Amino acid sequence: MELLAQVLISGILLGGLYALIGLGMSLIMGVMKIINLAHGELMMVGMYITFWAFTIGKIDPYVSLLIVIPALFVLGAMLQKWLIAPVMEAESILPENQVLLTVGIGLVLSNLALLAFTADYRSVPVSYASKTIYWDVKMAGQTISLSFSFPMLVAFAIALALGGALFLFLGYTDLGRMIRATAQDARAASLMGVNTKRITYITFGLGSALVGAAGALLAPVYYLFPQIGGPFTLKAFIITVLGGLGNVAGAVLGGVVLGLAESLGSVYVSLGYKDAFGFIIFVLVLIFLPKGLLGKGRA
Amino acid sequence: MTNRRMFSVLAVAAFAAFSASPALAQGKTFTVGVPLPLTGAEAKFGEMKKQAYQMAADEINAKGGVKGTKLAFDIQDSGGKPDTASAIVEKFITINKYPIVVGEYTSQCSYAVAGIAEKYKVPYLVDTGAADKITQQGWKYIFRLNSPAGLYAKGVFSFFEEVAKPKSVAILFENTDFGTSTSKSMKEYAESHGMQVVLAEGYQAGAVDFKPILQKVKSLRPDIVYMVSYLMDASLLMRQSKELDLNAQAFIGGAAGHTLPEFLENAGDATEFCMSASLWTPQVKYPGAAAFDANFQKLYKKAPSYHAAEAYSTAFVLADVLARAKSMSSDDLRDALAATDMMTAFGPVKFQAWDKFTNQNRMETLVGQWQKKKFETVWPKALASAPYVYPAPRWRDRK
Amino acid sequence: MSRATLLSLGGLALLAVVPAVVSNPYVLHMLILCLLWTVLGQSWNLLGGYTGQVSFGHAAFFGIGAYTTGILVKTGMSPAAAWWGLLLGGLAAAAASAVIGWICFRLRGPYFALSVLALAEVLRLIALNWKQLTNGAEGILFIPAFNSKSWYYWIVLALAAVSMALIRFVMHGKLGFYFLAIREDQDCAESLGINATKYKLISLLLSAFFTGVAGSFYMNYMGFIDPGIVFSIHDISVMMILVTMLGGVATTWGPAVGAAIYILMSEVFRTYLKSGHLVFFGLLIIVIIIFFPQGIVGTLRETLQRRKRRLAAPPAGGPLKEAA
Repeated sequence: MELLAQVLISGILLGGLYALIGLGMSLIMGVMKIINLAHGELMMVGMYITFWAFTIGKIDPYVSLLIVIPALFVLGAMLQKWLIAPVMEAESILPENQVLLTVGIGLVLSNLALLAFTADYRSVPVSYASKTIYWDVKMAGQTISLSFSFPMLVAFAIALALGGALFLFLGYTDLGRMIRATAQDARAASLMGVNTKRITYITFGLGSALVGAAGALLAPVYYLFPQIGGPFTLKAFIITVLGGLGNVAGAVLGGVVLGLAESLGSVYVSLGYKDAFGFIIFVLVLIFLPKGLLGKGRA
Repeated sequence: MTNRRMFSVLAVAAFAAFSASPALAQGKTFTVGVPLPLTGAEAKFGEMKKQAYQMAADEINAKGGVKGTKLAFDIQDSGGKPDTASAIVEKFITINKYPIVVGEYTSQCSYAVAGIAEKYKVPYLVDTGAADKITQQGWKYIFRLNSPAGLYAKGVFSFFEEVAKPKSVAILFENTDFGTSTSKSMKEYAESHGMQVVLAEGYQAGAVDFKPILQKVKSLRPDIVYMVSYLMDASLLMRQSKELDLNAQAFIGGAAGHTLPEFLENAGDATEFCMSASLWTPQVKYPGAAAFDANFQKLYKKAPSYHAAEAYSTAFVLADVLARAKSMSSDDLRDALAATDMMTAFGPVKFQAWDKFTNQNRMETLVGQWQKKKFETVWPKALASAPYVYPAPRWRDRK
Repeated sequence: MSRATLLSLGGLALLAVVPAVVSNPYVLHMLILCLLWTVLGQSWNLLGGYTGQVSFGHAAFFGIGAYTTGILVKTGMSPAAAWWGLLLGGLAAAAASAVIGWICFRLRGPYFALSVLALAEVLRLIALNWKQLTNGAEGILFIPAFNSKSWYYWIVLALAAVSMALIRFVMHGKLGFYFLAIREDQDCAESLGINATKYKLISLLLSAFFTGVAGSFYMNYMGFIDPGIVFSIHDISVMMILVTMLGGVATTWGPAVGAAIYILMSEVFRTYLKSGHLVFFGLLIIVIIIFFPQGIVGTLRETLQRRKRRLAAPPAGGPLKEAA
C-alpha cells in the first residue's frame, strides 16, 4: 500500500514536469504541423541559462524563470522567422523537410553548448534540492509514511500555473484566438486578416519559452549537460499525441499519464522496459483514440 | 601507394612490419593513435582522458622524451560510437601507419576497436573499457591496463567476507555493457555465497526519477544496495534514497559514478557513508599518484577521475615500451608490451594470462567510502586511508 | 537499351573495378559506407519520397536485419555462411514491416512518422532486455568473414545497383503511379479505386526489405552491433531521412548524392574540425535545406527543367516525372 501510494505520488509529480515539456511541442505542432526535433535542445538552453544565472548571479532557479521565458521566446521566434518559415514557404515534395532543419538546429545548439560550456555535468545545487516533506497517513490501523520532494512539488505547481495561464491566454485573448484560428485553418485565418506569419513566430516563441521554463524547473532536481535533449524530445512527442495537438488540458493529462506509466511500469513490470510503456500507450492511443485522450483538438 | 597497389591489406601490413622501422632518435616524434569520445554523451570522460594523455606527453617530452624521441598523441573524436571508433582506428593503422593504438572509453567502443586492431596485428592497449570479454578472446595484440569489470567488486567481496557478512542484496545497474558485466559478478557472488538477491534490474541511463524503483527496494529491505551507475544516475540514486528514507547497512557503487568528484558536487550530503569499489584514488600509495592529482588540478582546475589516472599511466607505459622495444614496428612494440613490468601512478603494470584472460593486468581493487565529503580508501586494510564505517547509520539518525 | 541504361551500366562497371585500383582499406571503407547509405536512402525514398509515407523509425528494419544475422552467427553459423542472413534479414524486416504497417497505416502524416518511431524504440528496448536472444547491451561481435574489403565493396555495390534498378523499374510501372497518386492525394486516389492501404503496404515491404538487407550487411561487415547502434533514432532513422532529403526526395540519384555528402562531409569535418565538427555538420544541413529545399538533385533538376522550358514553373506539387 505504501509502495503503491509512493509510486503514484512520484508518477504524478513527474507528470507535471513532463506536461510542461509537452505543452510547448503541442502548441507548435498544433499551429504549424511541424515535428520539431530540436525541442529537447531548446530545453537544454533554458537549463544552461538557469545554471549560469544561479552560478554567477546567485539567482534562484524559480526566479530565473523571469529570464528564461523571455530569452527562449526570442530565440524561438528568431529561429522560426529566419530559418523555419522560409523553408515552410519553399515548395517541396515533402513538407517534412523542415524536420531536417530542426535536426540541424538541434545539432548546432547542443554542440555549441559543448564547445562553450564543455561536456561537464552540471547541477544547480540549491539548498532545497533534497528537501523532502514527509506525511504520515493513518490508514486502517497502519501508518503509511509518504515523502514528497519539495522541488518536484514546486515544479508541479508552477507547471500547472503556466498551463493554466496558457489556457486562459489561448481562450480569452485576441492573440490567443488568432493562434487557435491559425491552428484550425491557416488560410481562412489569413483571409480574416490574421497575420499568420507573425502568429507562427509568436507560437514558436511561446513553445520554446514553455519548454525553457520546464528546463528551469528541472534544473534543481536533475542535472544538465549538452546532450541532455534527445530523450526529452521523445517524451514531448508522446505527451503531445496523448493530449491531442494544441490541447492544453490534454497535454497536462498526457504528461501525467506518461509519468504514471513510467513509474508504475518500472515497479510492477520491469525497470528495463520502463521507457517502452510510454511508447506502447502512445501507439494504442493513436489507434484507438485518434483525437487524443480528451477526444478533441486534432485538426 | 602506387608501388604497393597490388598487395592485399595483409601483405601491406606484413610489408610494413618487415620494412626497417625508424629507430629512436633525437628530434623524432613517435605518434600514438587515440580514438576518444569528444562529442556525444560520454564527451566529458573523453575530454578528461585527452587532458591526461596530453599532460603525460608534456611531462615526458619536457624531460627530453624517450631517448630523444618525443611522444605525441593523435586524438580523434569517435563520438562514443563503435563504428566510428573502428573506422578511425583503421585509418590510424592503414593511412597514418601508427604502429600502436590506445584509448577509447566505453566497453562497446573498446571491444570494437580491439577487433580491428587484432585483425591488423597492431597492439592496442585498453585503459578504460572494462567488459570482461575484451581480454577473454585469446587475442594476441590486445592488452588491458585496468581491471576487468567482473573484478571491480573483488575488494567489495573480501570486505563482505571479512567484515560485513550481509544476508541480502538489491542490485541496480545501468543497461550498458559495463553495467551488465559489473553487476553480473555481484549477482554470481551473492548466489554462490548464500546471499539473497532480492532484486536485480537494469535501467536506462539518464532517468529523471528513480523513486518508484527505490521505493520497491525499500519494501524489500536488503542489507546492501549495490549500484553500477554512471555519474549522474549515481547522484540521483543516492539523493532519492535519502529523500525516501531508504536505509541499508551499506550503499555500494561498482566504481564509475560513485567515485567521482561530481558525484559529491551533485549529491552533497547524500554521499555520506556511501561506499564504492574503486580502481584508484588520489591517496593510494603508488609513487606519483598524489603528484598527478595535484598537477592535474593545477593544470585543468578540476579533480581527475580514475579514468584520467588510467590515461596518464598509459602514456608512461608507452614511454617505457618505446624505450625497450627492439624497433618501432607493431610486432616489436607488442613484444615489449608483453614484457612490461613497471610501476605507475595507477599501480603496478604487468600483463599476464590468468583465469580466462590474456594480456591482462592484475590489480588490487579498492573499496572507498565517502566520509565528510572525502572519498577515503577503507579496504583492503593495507591500503586504507581511513577506517570504514559499517553499518551506515539511518538517514534520520544523522546530524 | 536506352542511353541512360547504358550510361548506368558503364558507371557500374567503372565502380566495380575500383578495388583493383584502390587498395587502401580506409578509402574502401568510406566508399562502402557511401554505398550502404545509398541503399538505405533508396529504401527510405521509396516509402517516404515516392509514396509520401514519412517514417521516423526505419531503424526498426535496419536493426531487425542486423540482429537476424547476428543471432544466426551467435547460434553457431559461421560468419561466411551468414551471408544467407542478408536474405533472411531482409525477409525478417519485411515480415516485421507488415505488422508495423498494419498498425501504423491507419495513421497519416506526422502521426504515422511518430508511431513508427515509437515501435522502433520498443524494438530497441526489447533488444536491450531480451539477453538470451541478443546478448542485451553487450552486443554481438564476430570477426568478419573476409579480411579484404574488396568483397564487401562488391557485395554492397551489387546491393546498391539492385535496389536502385528495382526501385526505378517499380517507379516506371503501374505500381509507381499508384505510389505517386497516394502521395499527392490519398483520398482522391482512393476515390479512383486505388486501394491505398494495399499499395502503401507494398511500398513499405520493399522499403523494409532493403533496409533489413542493409542492416544484415552492416553486421557482416562491421562485425559488431548493439541495440544502441542499430536501433538508433538519430544515427539511423533520422540519418536515412537526411541522406534522402539532402540529395533530393523522389529522385533516382538523390540518395546516392546525399549518402556521399553525409559520409564524406562528416568524415572530413570530423578529421579537421576537432570537437566542433558537429556544429559545422548541423550548419551544413541548415544551409542545404534552406538553399536547396528539394535537395541538391531535386533543386538542380528543377532549375534545369525551368531553363529548358522557359515556361511557367510546373504547378506546385504536381507529380514530377522521373528524371535521372
